[in-house]
Amino acid sequence: MLELKLAYRNLVSAGLRTWLNVVVLSITYVLIIWHQGFFSGILRQSEHDMIKDEVGGGQYWYKSYDPYDPISLDESHGIISPKLQSMINKNEATPILIRQASIYPNGRAQSILLKGIDPSQKILSIPSGKLKTDGEALPILVGRRMAINNSLKIGDFLTIRLRDSKDAFDAVEGQIVEIMNTRVSTIDNGQLWIPLKKMQEIVEMNGEATLVVLGQNVTGLSDSPDWKFREQKLLLKDIIDVIKSKRIASVILYIILLFLAMLAIFDTQVLSVFRRRKEIGTLIALGMTRLRVVRLFTFEGAMNGVLAALVGAVYGIPILVLTAINGIPMPDVVDSLGFALSGNLYPLYSAGLVIGTIIIVMITVTIVSYLPSSKIANLKPTEALKGKIG
Amino acid sequence: MNLVTIKNMTKRYPIGNSEFTALSNINLEFEKGEFCGIIGPSGSGKTTLLNIIGSLDTPSAGSTVVLGKDIGNLSEKEAAKLRSRHMGFIFQTYNLLPVCTVYENVEFPLLLINMTPNERKKKVISALEWVHLTDKINSRPNQLSGGQAQRVSIARAMVKQPELVLADEPTANLDAENSRNILDAMVNLNKELQTTFIFATHDEKVITYLKRKIFLVDGKVTSDGK
Repeated sequence: MLELKLAYRNLVSAGLRTWLNVVVLSITYVLIIWHQGFFSGILRQSEHDMIKDEVGGGQYWYKSYDPYDPISLDESHGIISPKLQSMINKNEATPILIRQASIYPNGRAQSILLKGIDPSQKILSIPSGKLKTDGEALPILVGRRMAINNSLKIGDFLTIRLRDSKDAFDAVEGQIVEIMNTRVSTIDNGQLWIPLKKMQEIVEMNGEATLVVLGQNVTGLSDSPDWKFREQKLLLKDIIDVIKSKRIASVILYIILLFLAMLAIFDTQVLSVFRRRKEIGTLIALGMTRLRVVRLFTFEGAMNGVLAALVGAVYGIPILVLTAINGIPMPDVVDSLGFALSGNLYPLYSAGLVIGTIIIVMITVTIVSYLPSSKIANLKPTEALKGKIG
Repeated sequence: MNLVTIKNMTKRYPIGNSEFTALSNINLEFEKGEFCGIIGPSGSGKTTLLNIIGSLDTPSAGSTVVLGKDIGNLSEKEAAKLRSRHMGFIFQTYNLLPVCTVYENVEFPLLLINMTPNERKKKVISALEWVHLTDKINSRPNQLSGGQAQRVSIARAMVKQPELVLADEPTANLDAENSRNILDAMVNLNKELQTTFIFATHDEKVITYLKRKIFLVDGKVTSDGK
């Protein structure tokens, strides 16, 4: 196609002006893909960790259990139904009992959630096996954040004050046996994990639980009057919503980047149409229709997008592949973002993300290139030949 | 048969709330093989007349029929087709495409009429031979002298062997020797191919070559020396 060939020649011969646009646009491509891949990686990692450490394949909640309501928490426990018990016996599920309690690290009173878990369970990947001890003190498992925030270390003793099923206050002495390193802050901050049986004895709730976590390949049963099934997707909704809200900020950033790149191309196109009026007039005089000349100039602008994709691929692919393979080291501070992250984050670059980004940028570049070029459609060839804009 | 027939043609341009008459009641006929010029001082309407004949502009009144087509009634697409197939243009400032080589500049009009590559090549080489520029085939316009650039422009106008070539002040930027070379080349092509040449000029060097001189003053034909 004549216009394409000529557009390419014009673009390449524009030299530095073209390459500046191309470099800016290629940075936009790479940053958009990197940033979106980064958030896809966070989403994937958070989902994976939450499923592995907390959510499992879904959960049964005792009918009155509401994790966001501390008032009703102490009433939210009941006898495990026979069907659920049968799943627990077959190692397809594990029960968790939750009570409010207080601890006194360094002489300060602190409200916590006390969670009882079967030390032999294999449903969640938290190191509950460490709770199997022969010591006299109640073994306690805490998360790394909890340990740091309260200056706790393995071997420390803690007094736990709690109420039993009859609302009588009781206190037990426990010893920290393990500090677990989990990326899931919702099983870490403000929580102590102790053996389920011992907790049931202390609070006089034998055979009772607050929730039952299912294995990942176990399908949920129908709800019973006392136990309501919460599917995995619902349990992950909060974290997905948080990450999506963070993603919006990244979208704003890439809209700004795209806008700057488009501004550069728009500016170049406006100048190009203005500076090359005589050439436009000549092309029309030689027999090109104005529509074809508009097409030529639009192609020229749009080709910036194509060249930018190629240039971006040259330096972007190694960067993206390297970060996808080696991960990006994340500081602990990212915990404050509201989702679980630490260690290395592995961005996720899907074909859809790459192709989608290229398509979006290409369409935007084409529109931005067309707008100044469309002025040619109203240009009088006689004026253009004189070097005037109509 | 006339190649161009202009009857009672007037061209007016709006200037603010009033109108400026660039051409007034023009009546002219051009036949095949003519080598003629529209002569007049700056602002006399030469270029306007040439633009209307070249279907780059339209008359305000009267008719201009070129190769059987009424310029005033042509759509943009029809006008473009008429120019691309039947007309060649030579400009004062050469107007070569700066990113294309000499070969590509001359080839360009043939690309617009979808000629086969072999045929294109033959015609381009032959056009460059007419203007003695086969040694500059791969040069860019910025590597050519003014005379060479104008010869490329002539080759580009002649390559498709059009019926009509319109030349607007083709020697205005050239010295005497280059002007003579250019004009000699055009005279030869006119003889050889029977192409009609219409010049817009006030250059004495050109005027001496013309077989027919049409004098234009203030948009009116004052004499037509057939």
